[in-house]
Amino acid sequence: MGFGQFLKAPEYDIKIITYRDIFQSTALESSGCGDEYAERSAVILLDKGDLKKMVLKDGRKAVLKNNFGRVVVHLRPSGYEEGHEGIGYMTNSPWSNALVSSETGGSGVPKFKMIIASISDAKDEKVTSFDV
Amino acid sequence: MENEYYVCTGCGLLCDDIEVELVDGKVSKVNNACLKGVARLKECERPAECRIDDAPASLEDAIIEAARILKEADSPVIFGMGNSTSQAQKNAIEVAKKTDAYFDDTSSFCQGPVVEAILENKIRTCTLDEVRDKADIIVYWGADPSNSHPRHLSKYTYFPRGKERQRGWEEDRTAICIDVRKSDTATICGDKFYQIPPQADEELLNAIANGLSGKVPKVSFGMGPKKILELANMLKKAEFGVICVGLGLVYSLEEIEPLVRLMDKLNEVSNFHLIPMVGQYNMRGSNHNLYEETGYINRVKFTGNDVEHGAHCSVVELLRTRTVDAALIIGSDPMSSLPGSIAKELLDIPVITIDPCNTLTSRKAKVSIPTATAGSECGGTAVRMDGVEVEFKAMTETDRMCDAEILERIMGEL
Ligand code: SF4
Repeated sequence: MGFGQFLKAPEYDIKIITYRDIFQSTALESSGCGDEYAERSAVILLDKGDLKKMVLKDGRKAVLKNNFGRVVVHLRPSGYEEGHEGIGYMTNSPWSNALVSSETGGSGVPKFKMIIASISDAKDEKVTSFDV
Repeated sequence: MENEYYVCTGCGLLCDDIEVELVDGKVSKVNNACLKGVARLKECERPAECRIDDAPASLEDAIIEAARILKEADSPVIFGMGNSTSQAQKNAIEVAKKTDAYFDDTSSFCQGPVVEAILENKIRTCTLDEVRDKADIIVYWGADPSNSHPRHLSKYTYFPRGKERQRGWEEDRTAICIDVRKSDTATICGDKFYQIPPQADEELLNAIANGLSGKVPKVSFGMGPKKILELANMLKKAEFGVICVGLGLVYSLEEIEPLVRLMDKLNEVSNFHLIPMVGQYNMRGSNHNLYEETGYINRVKFTGNDVEHGAHCSVVELLRTRTVDAALIIGSDPMSSLPGSIAKELLDIPVITIDPCNTLTSRKAKVSIPTATAGSECGGTAVRMDGVEVEFKAMTETDRMCDAEILERIMGEL
């Protein structure tokens, strides 16, 4: 545990792995600007042990933040049998993309699968909206 | 009455057995397609509007304004293409040539290196029909078709009876999944799921190649030599094997070479093929069309008769380095699909979108041109993920123009 433990809303570093979800992709086909797409995208799935350790609760929201962006998303337990401590799962979407590094080393390919961000309780903040 | 079958443009699988029911000229029911396909073929919830600078505009004016922006730009980029018909892609290449533009498509930051290796004959491939008829070992690496291409397993790879695989998945086929996460596809593969840590793909590719060469395969994570040898032996015994490569694998490799080396090794001792799990329905078509024209699959800049190519011509680098001063985006939503820190550069240049639906990008565009949806409202041809050309016809009539025609009209104004 680092410096974060002394703050009111402690921050922890997590790795984020993105994945595809048929229901989220279906919502995208219907409307990438729609509520259902946002509902299914602005979510991070965490390991149950991590939720406990980070004093975060199912049904609440989390702030995910790094040098490239900051988003507020819903927080849910992943439901995987096997633990995945320190790793959070998000579907590919503008919410996960907000945290992808802009450093590419000139390769033309962003590091979509290497997202590291800090996570903390979002308290009363609203889920980030891109529909502006 | 004979059934009429249509093609679904929901993903790179281009399922060709779709039946539809129409009510008042609109698709009301779609049979045989997956959830995603049904959503694609029904009208989008929020169709794109024809707009210039946030004000409603006529199609004629929007086309003239789009041409003006492209003509006046010093360094325009034309990007998208994955959801466009092959004719639209060819027309877009002509527009790029005429305006000395950069031209890139979504493969630039996904399956491009794999398709390139296939077109350059560095990797052996096959068709999905061959997989259905012959494949006994199917490997999904960094791919979760149960969510991305929902009918992949049922129509072509694991579940169907094929000419030489009459006993299907129960006895004739083995599906293997290698991934960082226990996905729905991994669950179907049961004890043939090999979980690896993020970024460990190259290590495992090399370890399997070593195992196939009779060396002791070692990796730095918790997968013992016995388990890797068991996997290598399964691959070695394949009568007809296929590796279906997903973005999980592509993104974790700096270079394609380790994958090419494993494929070469596999083909020394066995019979293996590779198919890229292409997402958008005609991304591969864009690669083929540009390759035919220039010898490159993506990332080019036209200047007179010259063609420049390289990572610096990729949409990501062009935006990152603020090289372009206008963008024509066709059937794509980079504001959603690119990293936010890179996509935001689009806010500083005039953007033209051609899309059937309202997207984050079309909402920010200076000119938004609505088009008919390929597959349901307009016909054409596309290239399936395995390189097979598929022709499709419209299911309904519409007064909206197809993307190919809009691009032809823009070309006419240039
Ligand atoms: S698998 Fe792809 S092509 Fe087939 S029905 Fe589903 S979305 Fe359409």
